[in-house]
Amino acid sequence: MSDKTKEVTKTESQKPVKSEFAGEKTVPGKYYIPRTDIVETDKSLIVTMDIPGVKKENINIRLENNDLEVDAQIDFSPYEKLNPVHTEYNVGHFTRRFTVSNVIDTTKIDANLTDGVLTLTLPKAPEAQPRKIEIK
Amino acid sequence: MFPLSSTFDTLLALQEALDLAQNGGFFERSTTSPGIYPPVNIFERSGDLVLVAELPGVKKKDLNIEVKGNTVRLAGERTIDYGKDISYHRVERNSTKFDRTLKLPYNIESDKVKAEYKDGLLVVSLSRAESDKPKQITIQ
Repeated sequence: MSDKTKEVTKTESQKPVKSEFAGEKTVPGKYYIPRTDIVETDKSLIVTMDIPGVKKENINIRLENNDLEVDAQIDFSPYEKLNPVHTEYNVGHFTRRFTVSNVIDTTKIDANLTDGVLTLTLPKAPEAQPRKIEIK
Repeated sequence: MFPLSSTFDTLLALQEALDLAQNGGFFERSTTSPGIYPPVNIFERSGDLVLVAELPGVKKKDLNIEVKGNTVRLAGERTIDYGKDISYHRVERNSTKFDRTLKLPYNIESDKVKAEYKDGLLVVSLSRAESDKPKQITIQ
């Protein structure tokens, strides 16, 4: 097989590390969709996102009409003095939007950032929490 | 006649197997695998190399960086544990163990290596070994 064919098959078999956000944005620069886990416990929903390289102050979490939007901006200033010699991944901002149902107590949403991982805790409204029904 | 798609699949599988054998580190004289994860970006800053890797959710104590001669080894693991009694709605992140060895164009001064891990970003500064630096020759 020629080198060209090999290159194509190799690219096809490689899963993208980051997927680019296809929508329109007003800020210049590439946007990526952060890898996200959503898990549910009895009391809350936990949304966990990988947003490496984003500082706490550059994260914007907005809740509007049950839409929860996370916008994380990368600070490119440390890269300005660096001259790239070998690159394997692209650097860009992160954005993702979720629709939150009414069972979430939107006033008590909690966010935490550790080691490039953003954790959002969305507590369920008391009426949506599971109850054990006792038989009388 | 074979359906075209299955023929391609067979060829692709063969190609992958060959790639794996060739690039899997088996034929290299190193003790650790070259690997492809984590992806790294390498920059140059006033003659030194700066290696940057995105490693969100990896704890500092689980990261292991070794430098020897002209090779850098990045090893570590990321564990994701949500505890018991949970149900998953979406799983895109995974627990991984990684081990990658990179060969650099020159020897590294191992005493001067600086590694910093912040906000899920690993930054390793590597300066060229004094013994490996080119010498300016003055014409007499």
